[in-house]
Amino acid sequence: MSVLGIHRKLEENSGLLIFGILFVSAIGGLVQVLPSVFQDELVTPTSETQPYGPLELLGRDVYIREGCSTCHSQQVRPLLAEVKRYGPFSSAGESAYDRPFLWGSKRTGPDLHRVGAKYSDAWQRVHLIDPRSVVPNSIMPAYPWLAERAADPRENIQTRMRRLQMLGHPYSDDQIAQAPYLVSDKTELDAIVAYLGVLGDAAGSDGRMAH
Amino acid sequence: MPFDFWVGWVAVLTVLSLIGLAWVIYGAYFGGQKVGEDEQSPTVWDENLREGAHPAPMWWFWTMLASLVFTLVYLILYPGLGSFSGTFRWSQGGELEERLVAHESAFGARRSEIARMDLELIQANDVLMRAAKRVFDRQCAACHGLDATGQAGMFPNLLDHAWQWGNSPGAIEKTIRDGRHGIMVGWNSVLNRSEASQLVQYTLALADSTPSVHPGKAKYDELCVACHGADGKGSIALGAPDLTTGIYTYGGDVLTIKETILYGREGVMPAFGGILDDMQIRLLVAWLSRS
Repeated sequence: MSVLGIHRKLEENSGLLIFGILFVSAIGGLVQVLPSVFQDELVTPTSETQPYGPLELLGRDVYIREGCSTCHSQQVRPLLAEVKRYGPFSSAGESAYDRPFLWGSKRTGPDLHRVGAKYSDAWQRVHLIDPRSVVPNSIMPAYPWLAERAADPRENIQTRMRRLQMLGHPYSDDQIAQAPYLVSDKTELDAIVAYLGVLGDAAGSDGRMAH
Repeated sequence: MPFDFWVGWVAVLTVLSLIGLAWVIYGAYFGGQKVGEDEQSPTVWDENLREGAHPAPMWWFWTMLASLVFTLVYLILYPGLGSFSGTFRWSQGGELEERLVAHESAFGARRSEIARMDLELIQANDVLMRAAKRVFDRQCAACHGLDATGQAGMFPNLLDHAWQWGNSPGAIEKTIRDGRHGIMVGWNSVLNRSEASQLVQYTLALADSTPSVHPGKAKYDELCVACHGADGKGSIALGAPDLTTGIYTYGGDVLTIKETILYGREGVMPAFGGILDDMQIRLLVAWLSRS
């Protein structure tokens, strides 16, 4: 059958046309996305990647809720300027315990994948509550309420950790038993500062270059 | 599924869709159907509106042909077809490595020269001092302020003469490279209110002279002397601030000093040894120790 004949058939049968459109638009995904789902390299943590502790886990949720990833990426790309500015480039394995990953695609603020080593916790606190008090020309919004809210108001940190354990995060039963004591009197500010503090801990593992 | 399967999957699907694309393009232009041929039973709407079969313009064809040729050339030169790495052997990591090497060969010699340069020579060189200020602005100003006078009532002023960890070039370099962690313990559990107030007054009095008789002296000699010294001069080795300077990182008013004494302080300077290179650290030391 000629190409134009097929074309005519498709044009006259909307069901067939829909199927044809779906098939053609699926090709890109079948080639680019599907194989990566099964690629071990992307889901195997690098040697220094650790699952988040209970407080950090809660801090990550605050990070997601406040939409930090709409302005901050968490991926240092393998480009000279980025490696010089931020440190070793990110590898997929570093996000093995990120569900979902927070790579982001927009940098209104700087990349945060290597931010852990750069600032003291005290600075992070002041900066989150009032960014302008330490960076006068910052356009980041202030997040003063973080200091007033309990990190784990529903007291379900153990449930969360158990679910992640089911998904393969190597939490020990001891860690899960201890978790409530580690987060009980903490605020969301404590949690997100703890989370930011461990970002980049696995930088440079598995032979990736330091600049 | 094994990795090899997916390598083959990518390669086969890529090739098949390219062939399919070529077939569609060829068929649409040279499939044997001529203009007007498809008009045995033309669909007619609205009296005289007929569907025609005018072929797409030829420049579309040439554009698509060029794109196909480009794709083929690209897939031969660069990685894309399964695990075939392309005749250029290009890779993202390889390119970065190459650029780092080029960067090093272009600037490495000059950078290591600056990293070993005399501080006076750097300080006398306007270009280098401007570069140093840029490093400061980017790496240090977030805490110490753009003018380096400290801020937020906790990050130290770098322009005064009171440096709790020392202001010799060696001490500054160590502070930048390895970071510092200063801890003042709180005495809330061992001091009552009046003792705390007396201690505050004694601390403030130290700025003028060491009083020989003072109601706060007994507690000072008991609790504070180990770090801050009998004369209040502090200890650079311990990072204990000099109390005779009248300069207080966290604030010098009565209430703030009382808070410091009762609840303690903890100050962290992060280590920049892994973030900055030797030249940048040298520039910062020169910039910070300038007169």
